[in-house]
This record gives sequence, C-alpha cells and structure tokens, in this order.
Amino acid sequence: MLEVRLTHTLGALRLDVAFEAPKGVTVLFGRSGSGKTTIVNAVAGLLRPASGRIAIGERVLCDTAQRLHLPPHRRRLGYIFQEGRLFPHLSVRQNLRYGQWFAPRGARSEDMARVVEMLGIGDLLSRRPGALSGGEKQRVAIGRALLSTPRAILADEPLASLDEARKAEILPYLERLRDEVDIPILYVSHSASEVARLATTVVALDQGRVVAQGRAEAVLGNPAITPLGAREAGAVLAARVVRHHADGLTELEAGGMALWLPRVDRPEGADLRVRIAAHDVIVARGRPDGLSALNVLPGVVQAVREGAGPGAIVAVDTQAGRVLARITRRAATALSLAPGAEVHVVVKAVSVAQADVGAAG
Amino acid sequence: MRFHGVRSSILSLSLGLAVLGPSDVHAETVTVFAAASLTNAMAEIETGFAAATGHDVTVSLAGSSALARQIQQGAPADVFISANPGWMDALEADGLIAQGTRRDLLGNALVLIAHDAQHPVVGIGPDMDLAAMLGDDRLAMALVEAVPAGIYGKAALESLGQWEAVAPRVAQSNNVRGALALVALGEAPYGIVYATDAAAEDAVSVIGTFPGGTHPPILYPVAGIAGREGVAPSALLDYLQGAEARAAFERQGFAVMAD
Amino acid sequence: MQDWLSPAEWEAVRLSLRVALWATLFSLPLGLGVAYALARWRFPGREVLNVVVHLPLIMPPVVTGYLLLLAFGTQGPIGGFMDSTLGFTFAFRWTGAALAAGVMAFPFMVRAVRLSIEAVDPKLEQAAATLGASRAWVFLTVTLPLILPGIIAGTVLTFAKGMGEFGATITFVSNIPGQTQTIPLAIDLLLETPGGEARAARLAGLSILMAAAALAFSEWMARRVAARVGGR
Repeated sequence: MLEVRLTHTLGALRLDVAFEAPKGVTVLFGRSGSGKTTIVNAVAGLLRPASGRIAIGERVLCDTAQRLHLPPHRRRLGYIFQEGRLFPHLSVRQNLRYGQWFAPRGARSEDMARVVEMLGIGDLLSRRPGALSGGEKQRVAIGRALLSTPRAILADEPLASLDEARKAEILPYLERLRDEVDIPILYVSHSASEVARLATTVVALDQGRVVAQGRAEAVLGNPAITPLGAREAGAVLAARVVRHHADGLTELEAGGMALWLPRVDRPEGADLRVRIAAHDVIVARGRPDGLSALNVLPGVVQAVREGAGPGAIVAVDTQAGRVLARITRRAATALSLAPGAEVHVVVKAVSVAQADVGAAG
Repeated sequence: MRFHGVRSSILSLSLGLAVLGPSDVHAETVTVFAAASLTNAMAEIETGFAAATGHDVTVSLAGSSALARQIQQGAPADVFISANPGWMDALEADGLIAQGTRRDLLGNALVLIAHDAQHPVVGIGPDMDLAAMLGDDRLAMALVEAVPAGIYGKAALESLGQWEAVAPRVAQSNNVRGALALVALGEAPYGIVYATDAAAEDAVSVIGTFPGGTHPPILYPVAGIAGREGVAPSALLDYLQGAEARAAFERQGFAVMAD
Repeated sequence: MQDWLSPAEWEAVRLSLRVALWATLFSLPLGLGVAYALARWRFPGREVLNVVVHLPLIMPPVVTGYLLLLAFGTQGPIGGFMDSTLGFTFAFRWTGAALAAGVMAFPFMVRAVRLSIEAVDPKLEQAAATLGASRAWVFLTVTLPLILPGIIAGTVLTFAKGMGEFGATITFVSNIPGQTQTIPLAIDLLLETPGGEARAARLAGLSILMAAAALAFSEWMARRVAARVGGR
C-alpha cells in the first residue's frame, strides 16, 4: 500500500493531496496542470515536497516532519516516463538489465524471461533504442522498470506520446501488468478511456486538490466528478463475454442484462470492463420502441447535475451498473428527470470504441 | 590664377605643402627596433626626442636575433640597435643597412649576479670554481647560442675554463630579462647578465664583473635601415649620439662609445 | 632516419611526447571534474571558477608562465612546499614543462567536456537514479559513456596544445636540453641561431606530422564512439 500525503507550491499551483494506492492501478486523473506529475515526482524522490509524508508499506520514503527524504536511488520504485528515457548507448537487453544490476542483493529478482514474454519484446533484445518504434520503446521502458524489482511502479502518462494505434497495442500489456504483478501502480493520466480501462482505484484531481478517490466504477460513475470536463464523462460497467455472433457482434452480460457491442476480441467467458461515454447515452422515459440501438436498459435516476452551460449529467442506476448520460438541461426539465425517476438508457452498440473495452481489473 | 574642381584643390594643396617644406608642422613617426636590454633607456629617449624634434618614436623591444630576423623579412623598422655586432653584420651582408649610418653606440659589461644580497664578492678569474658554487642548482643565462648576452657569457666562461663544468647546470631563457627574473625570484641562485640589467633589478646583487678580456667586446651598434632613410630617422640617429641621449644611457649604466 | 634529426632534436621529440602525455593524463580527471561541476552544479563562485579556468586562454602565455614561476617555483608557496615536503620539483624539470603545458591546455579540456555534458539529457540521469543507481553510478554508467566523444576531443586538443606550448614553458622552466627543451623550444632556439632555419623547418615538419596523426586518430575514435553511443 502506497500512502501519499503532501503539500507543495509549484508556480501558480498549490498542491494539497492525501491518498492511498493499494495493489493494482491507481490512476491520478485530472487536467493538465492539476499537479499529477508533481505528485509522482515527489513519490519518486525527484522532487522534495514542501511538507508531507510518503510511505510504502512499512518503509517511509519521505517525511518532512522528521526531515527524512530518501534519494531516488534508494527508494526502489520503478518509474515509467512519458518519453521512455531508454539509454541510447545500451542495447535493449542491457537497458532491461540496468535496474536488475542495482537491485539490492537478496531481493527477489523478477524473471527476465517472464517479463520479456509478458511484454512481447523478445525480438528486440539485441537492438538499440534508436532503432525502436515508439510503442516498442515504451514496452521496453515498462520491462526495465519492472526488472528493477520495485516496491511500486510509477507511470507518468506513458502513452501520451503515442498514436492511437500504438496505444491500443500497449494497453493490453499494461492490463497484464496490473493483473499479474502484486505491487501498487501509480499511474498518471488525462485520458478518460485509459482510466476506464486500467484503473482499479481512481484519485481525481482538480487544481491541486483531490476531489474524489475510490474504486474506479464509483468515481467514474459519480456525475459530480468530471475532472476533465463534462465531455469526457463516462461510467464503467463490469461485463462478461457470453458469445460472439456471426454478424460481427459480441453478446455480453452485465449484471444479468444483455449488452451488445461490436466484436470484442476476447474469449468467451472473459471478464471485461466497458466504458460507456456519457455523450453516447440517450435517456428516455418509458421504453422506446423501434430504435436501431441494441442496448436499451431500464434504470432509476440517482442524480442530475446541471452544468454551467446548456448541459446536464444524469446518473442512472441500471441492473448492469451505473451509467452516466449527458443531455441538455432543457431535456432534463422537460422529462422531469429527478432522483427516483424511472427511465431507460439507450446506448448504440457501435458507439463503444474498442479502446473503451478492457480486461477487468 | 583660377583653378576648378577637386583636381585643382588637390593640386593647390600639394603645392602649398611643398612650399611649406617638410621640416615644419609635419610630425613623423620613427620606428626603432632595439635590443631588450635598452628598455629603460629607450623610454627616456622617446620622450626626450619627441620634446626636442616633435617627431614620435615607436620602439619595438625584443631579442636582437628576433628583431634582425624580422628586418630580414621586411619589417618596417627605420632604425636598428642591436646588442651584438654579429646580427648587424648579418643585416649588412644582406644589404639591409643604409650606407654610412652604422656606428658603435654603446658598450656594456657582463656581470655575475646572485639572489642573496649578503653574498660576498667573487673574484672572477681562472681560479674560481663556479660549478662548485652552483652545486645542484642552476645558472640563469640567456640562450647561449642565440642571444648576445648568452653568447658573451659562454665565451667568458670558456676563456676562464669554467664552461665544461658549468654547461649541464645552465638554464637558458629566451632573453636576458627572463634570466634576470629567475635570479630575482631566487629560483636560480646565480646568473650572468649585463651590468645594465643588474642595475635595474633590486632583487639581485652583482658579485663580480667579467674582465673585458674574457669575452669579445660588448658593443651595441646602431644603423638606419636601407630604403627607409628620411628626415625623422636621420634626426633620431643624430639624437642618439647627442648629449641628452648619452646622459640617459649612462644613467642606466651603459658605456657610451665616443664617436 | 636517425640522421634526419640530430640527437638533441630527437631528445626534444621524446621530451615533447612525454610532457604532452603527462599533461593530458593529469588534465583529464581534473578537467572532467571541473567541467561536471560547471555544467551541473550551482554553487557560490561558479562564475569565478569559470573565468579562472579560461584565464590561460586569454592571458599572454608569458604572463601565465610567470605566475607559474611565482607559485610553483622552489621559492613559491606551492612549489616550495612540494619540494621540501614531498621532494617533488617543478623548477627546471620536465615536470614543470608538463605543468605549463597542462595549465595552458586546461581550458580546452574543460570546454570540450562541458559542452558534451550539457548535451546529455538530465532526464536520462534521472531515469538511472530511479532504477537504483547512486550519483556516482549514474555518472559512470550513463553520463560518462555519453560524453565520451567530448572527452576524446578534449584529450586530443590537450595533447596537441601540450606538444605546441612555448611561452609559458620557457618563462617557467627555461630552455634546458633534455629536461625542458620541448619541440617548440628547440625550434625557437634554432630560429634564433643564424643558419638554423633548415633544422628548424625539419623539426616543425615532424611536429606538424605528429599533430595531424593525433587528429586523425581522434577523428576515427570519435566516429567509432559516436556510432556506439548513438544507439542505432
């Protein structure tokens, strides 16, 4: 368990946060400039916070009250940087070994073969970073951080510099990382779909303060928490693959309800999490008929949050889970949407992107 | 007469100057190449000459060998004062000296100096054992093959039968001032320099003078450079042999050759 | 070939090589340290240090030589101490010539290395730290390999300057065949001697050849190292 509590002032930003990161991926989620990278750098020891305490399990890394500040090289945290930062004068294999070399004797050493296999970088071992693509570099960076036998992993927007195709390529590896490694992963992101796919826990930040923390489904399903703005809102449903159909659709089951998505590349029986973007959801009173949309779920309104502009976010609890819908305030008023109202939420199957479907964490 | 335009202006200006004559308002600059040991003397002479004639002097001071080589390569010197006749002979052989301008201007003495102000006077003769005096330390001299002070010093030591023993202990400097500095600082306990140099430096004491017979006479010839004759250079040559200059040289310890 | 230069001149060549070699050997670690401090640390007096390092470049060499004489001569504070306590002398010895060469060439070493240190992305050093490398190990395993081309350049420049140093050397340790008469001092002596031009030319020619060889070697090494470090 990674415990973080710190305050710091960086330019115009006043940071004051406290949160915990258990095993799995804890995403620091917020707009650019909300202090996410500063927090991660403080945890890594690359920055001295004005005040605070950072500990992982029994080991205290930083405690300003006791004037304790372990230098980065003694913290045993694996850091995956946004730009990879692989050493250009070493081969991939040497880069991977770099962290191993400095791990203290007696620490259980991660198996190189296992990590290489998990990240699919076996073919790259004798190449140099200069000859790798962006995605390959990031995978090696992940491997390098892992192989230093860290107590926790820090990742600062590791996918930000990659294009969509590369991101889609790497996200499964990160999901594997989350599932197969039993140390906390502190992950910085400002991408809602990355958060939705990867996060076990979400710590939402706004202007240097924690506005919400908790399990991903809960935080993302909270209409009041939109750290990136209403456009990025979207709840996450837990679903299981039932069957792949011949016409290219996959039938999933969430909370007993059927959910239809374009073909999902997972085996039958696999547990997934599916992000439903709020702006793709229509709310209807009464059960609509004759619609092309395949996913029509009955539910009960839990909350309506009006925005500053014309929009409003409605949180609806369905049998499949919490769904957020972004509609106009006018519509909310016209339909008399208030907590307790019975509604149906409509989601077009094709509006759920492949990127929004990930392994359950 | 009336003249028109620029051409006529230049014409009238030159005519005017020609009428006025060069010895009037027109101040020239004379370039003198002089041996380094003349530094202090030349400073006085510069001011004196400017006051007396209104002409400026530019003095370039260096080792005679360097200066001679520069003149051989066409350096713009009007007058050359060398610290030994050898280099003047070389220039004369090359035809670089203005006819009839060469004179022996100054003489100097060669002295043995020591760093220690309390050092007793040494009798300089064949009986002295300079090598023993030096022990493991060094004798500071100018380059013995190239710089006049070094050449005279080696000649003197040879004629006194000291050279063989002393040669391995010699530390040669580029010019006399370098050797002087070594003894002044105490790096070398003894050195051989000109009497004029020793007089200028407080931190060394003269402990003996080499008898004139032990080395070729130390003469400082002066001459005008061929192709650079003129009123101002001639005026300087005259001034150098005049009473004011004589006083300046003697103040520094030089012997002035009667002409 | 033996007769091409006189024994005294071969002596000057051997001495020059020795002087330049030792000057480079000592300049290297010191120059590396100073370059790193100037490039990466902030401390009071940093600008002063920078100016002092560059002084031999801008002062007349004779002045530098005279300052060395004052400080490192047997009568000077440092030289006197080393002579009486450690039995080590600079005055009138090849060690003094090496010191003069090293001091005059020091700015070249520092500049070359500092430029290459500043070109190393500090983020790489950060990454190494997060992987468990202490500051010393970061330097050895990340910074040093990446600045190797700069170190090579600085070393060759220092060596070449050491082979060519004249003004400070002759002022500090004077011209003593076998001890301090390096190639430049020998050439100077020959030029000052009537009739010595031909021998001076031969010696100068050899000197140029050696400098060219050193440069060619450094180019080759730099290319090889750059390829390894460039990461392709």
